[in-house]
Amino acid sequence: MARWGMVIDLDRCTGCQACVIACKAENNVPAVGAKEAVRGRIISWMQVLTEVEDHDHPGEQMRFVPRPCLQCDDPPCTKVCPVYATYRNPEGIVAQIYARCIGCRFCMAACPYNAKYFNWHRYQKEGPGQNPDVSVRPKGVVEKCTFCHHRLQHARERALAEGREVAPGEYVPACAEACPARAIIFGDLSDPGSEVSRLAQSRRAFRLLEELGTKPKVIYLTEGEGRG
Amino acid sequence: MKWLAVIGVIAVALLTWGFWWEPAVKQPIEYPHKTHVQQLKLPCTSCHQRAEKDAVAGRPPTALCVACHSGGEAKSEEIKKIQAFGEKGQEIPWKRVWRLPPHVFFSHRTHVAVAKVKCQTCHGAMETLDRPPARPLKTLAMNDCIGCHEQWEWPNEKGGGVVKAVARRVSTDCNACHR
Ligand code: HEC
Ligand code: HEC
Ligand code: HEC
Ligand code: HEC
Ligand code: HEC
Repeated sequence: MARWGMVIDLDRCTGCQACVIACKAENNVPAVGAKEAVRGRIISWMQVLTEVEDHDHPGEQMRFVPRPCLQCDDPPCTKVCPVYATYRNPEGIVAQIYARCIGCRFCMAACPYNAKYFNWHRYQKEGPGQNPDVSVRPKGVVEKCTFCHHRLQHARERALAEGREVAPGEYVPACAEACPARAIIFGDLSDPGSEVSRLAQSRRAFRLLEELGTKPKVIYLTEGEGRG
Repeated sequence: MKWLAVIGVIAVALLTWGFWWEPAVKQPIEYPHKTHVQQLKLPCTSCHQRAEKDAVAGRPPTALCVACHSGGEAKSEEIKKIQAFGEKGQEIPWKRVWRLPPHVFFSHRTHVAVAKVKCQTCHGAMETLDRPPARPLKTLAMNDCIGCHEQWEWPNEKGGGVVKAVARRVSTDCNACHR
């Protein structure tokens, strides 16, 4: 069984936000409006965190850290869900079942990466221009990056019809597809020959807040200092 | 005050009317499945052509109906309506009867072409209908989906009988269906 993972090469990332926009369009992530934004309610499954390197000369050198849901192998968020609306599925994707979610937001509090978001209102209705493969979230549920698992549903549907396994490269999330710098590489971590597996073994590899023991499957690459 | 209460109750009743029971679906043409399936022996997929190739089963194009129903003077109102749609080059605006909520992924191809599940297992005896169904003959709640997935046994290809589905279990992972 596959174990889906992602490698993000911070030395390649230019902070262009293409992944952020691609993610929003793909997953019907709502724009919450200015009033809600001021209250800190912006929803952005993929977010480019910025870090000023040289505090004496701010703005001269920036570091960018694209942050989707890190799809932890030992996720703190799923352990606190009282209703099994979020759990780690057999292929390692941390699922979020909106229909089941009761909106208690324990998982948001538990996530050390702030990767989960709450729908304080019904931010949008179903309509044309949305991706029909992703349901529009109602008011009162938590949402987050799902590694675009609807794309896996389609890839598997095709593979089943053709009597084969999902081929490498057939299932890729929108952010990885959109990255012009090829900083985001996606694939099966259980396949030692895959590009993600090889990159994840690199001496440049590190994980965010590794010391917490969450075992993220989004692995970052960078040369030199300032890791983690 | 009393009147106000009465008006209030009526207003609430009217407002929630649609949620009490599902409204009956009225199709533009009184299409009989029985005539076409039982008498003419048309296979389901001759009209619902995408069921074996796609996620949705689809409805036949007007051209297909007209191919049989254009000949001669139309006897009935219903046939006249079909011909009118045909002449205008329009598709017949069929309404949906079976519909899953948008947060569920379902593919006909997986079930019809790969698993070889009969249409009737999920849709009931469509071939016995003299007129379009106003409601689903069979509802498909989550328990029905998972119930089948859990106990599914693949037919044994070599000999007769069935093999216990240890080799390839049908998924019951929430993420397989929900999106
Ligand atoms: C001659 C073409 C034709 C054939 C053959 C046919 N159908 Fe249909 N089917 C239609 C049309 C037209 C409709 C839309 C009108 C209606 O609901 O009756 C329809 C509607 C349906 C619907 C309702 C879809 C929805 O949710 O709106 C189902 C289910 C269905 N058919 C199943 C079957 C099955 C099962 C068979 C084989 C036993 C079959 N059909 C054979 C033409 C056909
Ligand atoms: C293979 C040829 C064939 C096709 C294709 C076909 N029909 Fe028919 N249809 C018939 C025949 C034969 C009858 C029965 C004879 C009659 O009553 O006219 C019939 C009967 C009907 C009737 C009842 C007739 C009446 O007098 O009320 C309706 C309505 C009808 N068809 C609609 C459709 C629609 C809609 C389609 C397209 C989805 C369609 N048919 C496709 C051959 C066909
Ligand atoms: C495993 C159960 C299952 C089987 C088997 C099945 N269906 Fe369906 N069908 C459904 C469900 C569920 C829906 C509603 C789909 C939705 O809302 O996305 C549906 C919807 C439909 C529709 C209307 C919407 C559409 O997709 O166009 C038609 C027509 C239809 N089915 C025809 C068929 C025919 C013909 C067959 C056999 C060849 C068949 N179905 C076999 C479960 C099934
Ligand atoms: C009568 C039995 C039956 C029913 C009812 C049924 N399924 Fe299935 N389904 C199967 C079988 C068998 C497979 C496995 C196909 C395969 O693995 O080749 C399957 C596979 C699937 C898959 C693909 C699983 C994967 O491995 O990714 C999905 C998604 C699915 N079904 C959804 C549904 C939904 C939603 C419903 C209810 C509306 C439903 N099914 C009802 C028999 C059924
Ligand atoms: C085989 C497919 C399938 C699987 C697996 C599945 N579901 Fe569902 N689920 C459905 C379908 C289909 C519906 C819609 C049923 C309906 O319309 O009544 C549904 C509806 C629901 C609802 C109700 C939504 C509402 O608005 O009433 C909840 C909650 C839910 N699912 C949670 C889960 C959870 C949690 C899991 C995993 C433990 C899961 N589902 C696994 C097919 C599935």
